[in-house]
Parts: sequence; structure tokens; C-alpha cells
Amino acid sequence: MKKQVVAMLLAGGQGSRLYVLTGKVAKPAIPFGGKYRIIDFPLSNCVNSGIDTVGVLTQYQPLELNSYIGSGQPWDLDQSDGGVHILPPYVAQGDQGTWYKGTANAIYQNIGFIDLYEPEYVVILSGDHIYKMDYANMVNRHKESGAACTISVMEVPWAEAPRFGIMNVDEEDNIVEFEEKPKEPKSNLASMGIYCFSWKALREYLIEDEADKTSQNDFGKNIIPKMLSDGKKMVAYRFSGYWKDVGTLDSLWDANMDMLAGNNGLDVFDTEWPIYARAPRKAPAYLGEQAVVSHSVVTQGSIIEGSVENSVVAHSVTVGEGASVRYSVVMPNVVIGPGAVVEYAILGEGAHVGAHAKVGAPPETAEDPEKWGIAVIGPFCEIAAEETVAPNQMLDRDHKEVARK
Amino acid sequence: MNRMHGIIFAYGQCPKLQTLVEQRVADSIPYAARYRIIDFMLSNMVNAGVTDVGVILQDKYQSMLDHLGSGKDWDLSRKHGGLRLLPSVPKSDPSRPFRGKMEALASVESYVQRIRQEYVVLANGALICNMPLGDVLEEHIRSGADITCVCAPGNVAENPTTYMINEAGDVTDVVSRSAVTGGYSGLEVYIIGKKLLLELIAECDGHNEYSFHRAVLQSRRNRLKLHAYVFQGYAARIMSVAEYYARSMELLNSSVRADLFIPERPIRTKDRSDASTYYGPKSHCINSLISDGCIIEGEVVNSILFRGVHVEKGAKINGCILMQDTVIHAGATLRYAIADKNVTVNENRMLMGHSSYPLAISKFGVV
Repeated sequence: MKKQVVAMLLAGGQGSRLYVLTGKVAKPAIPFGGKYRIIDFPLSNCVNSGIDTVGVLTQYQPLELNSYIGSGQPWDLDQSDGGVHILPPYVAQGDQGTWYKGTANAIYQNIGFIDLYEPEYVVILSGDHIYKMDYANMVNRHKESGAACTISVMEVPWAEAPRFGIMNVDEEDNIVEFEEKPKEPKSNLASMGIYCFSWKALREYLIEDEADKTSQNDFGKNIIPKMLSDGKKMVAYRFSGYWKDVGTLDSLWDANMDMLAGNNGLDVFDTEWPIYARAPRKAPAYLGEQAVVSHSVVTQGSIIEGSVENSVVAHSVTVGEGASVRYSVVMPNVVIGPGAVVEYAILGEGAHVGAHAKVGAPPETAEDPEKWGIAVIGPFCEIAAEETVAPNQMLDRDHKEVARK
Repeated sequence: MNRMHGIIFAYGQCPKLQTLVEQRVADSIPYAARYRIIDFMLSNMVNAGVTDVGVILQDKYQSMLDHLGSGKDWDLSRKHGGLRLLPSVPKSDPSRPFRGKMEALASVESYVQRIRQEYVVLANGALICNMPLGDVLEEHIRSGADITCVCAPGNVAENPTTYMINEAGDVTDVVSRSAVTGGYSGLEVYIIGKKLLLELIAECDGHNEYSFHRAVLQSRRNRLKLHAYVFQGYAARIMSVAEYYARSMELLNSSVRADLFIPERPIRTKDRSDASTYYGPKSHCINSLISDGCIIEGEVVNSILFRGVHVEKGAKINGCILMQDTVIHAGATLRYAIADKNVTVNENRMLMGHSSYPLAISKFGVV
């Protein structure tokens, strides 16, 4: 069945900069913003943009991600024609086939999948970005400009430009140069890692790139620079609005806090552009007689008897009497015992904080601001009663301390 | 597994429910902050491994059709079997309501004939409980009964039917509550073999008998072995607005919630993809049951809020039930009120009912 657009979602990254949080789960399956997981954003964007055929490229710890996506029903992607497909690496003809070597190789290995739909355009997406975008607008820009490749870009503050892949453009927003993390940026248009290609052109480049044994088979490092140097027409699609790469602990915490600000451009209450999620079957949340909840989100199945301030609380979380949770991200099934204090922390799924334990501390209390950071408790980690976890400390599921590099 | 078929009677007309049943039947009244009452029985069936469920409807079923859809939220959207909606009318006179369950069953006789399971569980959609129907079936088979009738100790709503039970657990008499002391309240949940059910449907239809209670349980009591299954959990039936209010407020009691929301037997409902509920900096919310998708900026005490409710700054809600997408504007005060879906209460309005006589506001009402 022919489709005009197929989306390919790169969800195989190890997410090593999220350390203990990605121990047994792929980054896109990490809970976010109370109700969601990271992948809900690109998947919902696809559906809302009218893209009904999505390949999800998985590789690292895929079990939870696979079961989360399931048939794709929560996103209306359970279609008899198209829909969402999980695409792990596979062995073809004898010994052919390998792990996905790079982002471009992941797509190369699934040329057969894309060919099934004979698309005009392929949209390449990342599984670790939080944003709302109408991909149809980018595809339209791509069509109208007649480009081989369209790259979604956004203006970032000049000071931060050296952290990004920067696109230098002419007056018609044709891309003339691409610089990865330039020390002296010539523009502040950062690539968002969202591409639209004409499938015919991309297909040729993928095959050529695969044949080049020196290539790292990566879109940013190989495919895009090669297309540029070949003089292919490449244009920038300017996006403005909320967009955040949540690939690091700090950015994941920041983005969760952004969820609480009403005017952040990421209005999840907007019914025109809903973000869908697979919702567990839980009773409504119960706020007890002593509950104090302010400037926070709380999700169904949670029981709050203590105080929750400036925090994001996912489903089925228990906050005991007299416990205080401030400026923290609390993932599903976490239990916070009575009298415990959790501040500036990320608590992974199913973590257990004993009564009167203390996790993290506010930055203003730090003696050495350089050494301060959010405390991170890995999934299913058990913090004993009255134990203290210092700011910047990180514990894995077996309560072993893990150092940040 | 899958030896039992479900039939739900979902045409409950209770005039005392007033505005709550203006546009719906009792079985589809919103309950417990995110459910419809029928979700409980439907989930009970699915949780017992039932894969095929027929829901008998009559009149005012638009809200039920919208809620149940294809049955996918209950995993009942199946190629073979699954959910079957059965809008129906009495065979003898299509213009009047069903007089009893046997008349309703006679109207869907051809459906019953095609049931592929050996046993059938019959239940009202308007019964609120989390019941292990798998255990009931096991006991039904073990006891060798013709019909197993589920009952509860104590009084469930204004219940007219009482079972007297002997030591073997069999039903010795079926009487109205007023006539006896002791006994067990019938919950109108029955398990019966398909073959016997079809015989009874034909017999009753032929003799113009229509009530399961009278025609089957009372008249044929000597011919049939009736076994009682005593259900110990929370069960409620709602017949009036005051009862709806009282049974809803009981949910603020953790032991009632523990009885209804059992992790191994989750209650399923239509998914709406709401965001997590946001509580503003100046909000105050205690002893309340809050669904997802709400924005709470005011004060909420002893209340139940359904999905998508908005309580603006300075609004004060106490002892209220606010259904889906209701908006309470700034400065409004509501006490002991039930706001149906999509109600708007404008700024600084004051509405007060009483716990014995809660104020009910109709769907889409603007105050």
C-alpha cells in the first residue's frame, strides 16, 4: 500500500547519559511529565500530523518499550494498513545483518520496510525529544522547495550555539554549511535532529554510505555532510516553540519542571494537539486529610498524604504522612515513606524511600555550588528508613553508587 | 477459562435518579471520578476470563453506545466473540419497557442460542462491586447447582429480595425483605448453564412469565437446585440521587476503595488520554478523589472530581461531585452539589445543597 510519508523513529540509543535510569529500559520508554513516556511526544506528533505509518527502530533494552507500544492502539496506530512497527536489527540471508551501527545504518537495514510503502518522503525522528510539531508543515516546506533534504532547525541563544549542530543558511534558508558544535558559530540555527528526505534520494545515499567502510553510518556525521558536499538542495525548516532534548539527567529534570509552567508552549491540556499515552488501569488519585499539593502535577492511582510542591508525580505513587516532596520528578510506583524529605531529585520507577529518609537538598544549602546536583535514585532502589542521599549522589537499583562522568 | 458467557442488563430506569438519568440509563451514570457504573460489572467479567459479553439495552442508550464503543478498552473488540450490544424491545409490545429479565432474555433469544460457552453469568449493569466471578463459577460447578445466586450479608440499597440459606449453602427461600429478618440480600448476579437458560426462556415466554425473580427463583424453586454464593466485598446499587451521593462519598473511605480497586482485578474504562492533573500554587485540596486531566487552582474539600474538571482561583468546593469537563469559575462556592458533565458555574455563584438532599445540576447546565 502506497503512503506519501513514512516516519522512522530512532529509539535504539543506549541513553548512557541518563545513567541509572536507563539501566534496563530504552531511553524513549522513560516516564515523563506524570502521565507520559518520552516516546509519546513523537508518536502523538506523527498521528496528529496525519502520518499513520511509523517504524520504531529499537536495539538497546527494548522489552519495556516494545510492550509499551504494543499494538499502537493508544496512539490510534493499530491499523491494518500502516500503523506502528517495531523494527529491531535482524539477520538476513545467512550471516548478513548486524546491530545498528549508526543512525543511518539503522535506516539502511530497514530499506525493505520503507519500500513496502513506496513513500515519496521519509521523516526521521528522535526518540528523546520533548516537543509538539506538525510534521506536515515540514513536509510541505520540503515539497514546495523541491529539496532532497529538509532539516528542522530552531534559533537557540548564541551563547549556547556551540553545544549544537549549527546550520548556516542563505537568505532563502537554503543550508550552505553544517558545523557540529562550532567554537565560533556563524549562525544560531540549531539542528533539532528531525529530517525530511525524499525517499529516492535518501535511499541512494544510504546504499552509498553503507558501501563506504570508513563511514560511521550516521546522519549528522556522514549523510548530511555528503549530501551538502554533493551540492544537493537542502533547506532549513524553522520551528519555534518548545523543544527539549532530554538526553541528560539535568535536561530531563528541567523539562519535567517546564511541564509545570502553564505558558511553556507545551500545553498538554490542549485538545487540538493531544499527547496520547498508554494509561495504566488505575483508580483516581486520592489526596488525604493532611495533603498539601501546590504547583505540581499528580497522576491517577497515587495516594498523597504528605506535601508535594513544584514536583511531577506519575501514577501509583504513595507519599506518606508528613513526607515532603519538593522540586522533584517522581516516576511510577514510587513509595515515599512517612516523614521522608525528597528535594531536587529524580526517583526512578518503583523506587522506595524509607520513613524519615532524606534524598537530595536545595542548591542554596550547598557549601560548594560546583558539587551540587540533583540526586538520582535508580528504578527499584530501596532507600532505608532515615538514610540520607546527598545532592548529586546517584544510586542504581542495587543501591550502588554510580559516579557521573 | 472462557467457559462462561456474560449477559448484562443495562436498561435501568430509576425515576428517583432525576437529572442523573435525564439522558442516560442508571447503568451508565458516571461514578468514582472516572468510571461509568457498568464498568464494574463489565470489568468483573473480563477479569474472570470472559471473552464474550452481550449487553441488553433499551431506550436512552446513546451514552452507553458512546461509552462502550467497540469494547476495545475492555479488550472485548474481537474478531470472534467480544462485546455485542443488543438494543432490544419486548416481543409482545415494543412500546413498553421490559417487565423483567426473562422478558428481556426472550427478546434476545436467538443471541442466547448462539452462545458458544457452557455457562452464562447474568448481571445488572448498575451493580457496583469488584466481584471474583471466576470464583463464583468454580463454586457453581463444585456445588452442582442449576443456578448460583450471588448475595451479600447486610443490606444493599433498598433491596426487595432476600435469600434464606441452609447450611449447605443452598437457597431455601426467596422472599421480600420486609417479610423476614436475617437472610442475605440478593445482588441479582446469577450463573446458569446455557441449556437450562434456553429452556427457561422458552418456558417463561410460553407462559407469559417475565420476572427472573418470580418466575424462576420463586415459582421453580422446588424443581431447581439454587445455590448461594455469599459475596463479602463492597456492593452498592443506586436508586436515587441521595443514594448516589452517599455511595459516592463512601469512596473517600480507604477501606471502600480497597474493596473496589483491587490491583489484580482492575476496573477498566474508556480511555481519554488526559494529562496529569495540575494543582496550582494557591490550591488547597484535601480528602478528595481526583481524576486525571483536571486543573485545580481553588479549594477542593471532601469531593470527587471527574476527568477534565477546572476549578478556578478562589472557587470553593466542599462535599461535591463534579463530573467530566465541568468548569467552576473564580470565586464560586459549591457545597453538597452534584454537577453533571460539562456544567459551567459562573463567577461568584453560590450553590448549596445538603448531604441529605444534594443539589443536582443537569448536563451542560450553566449557573
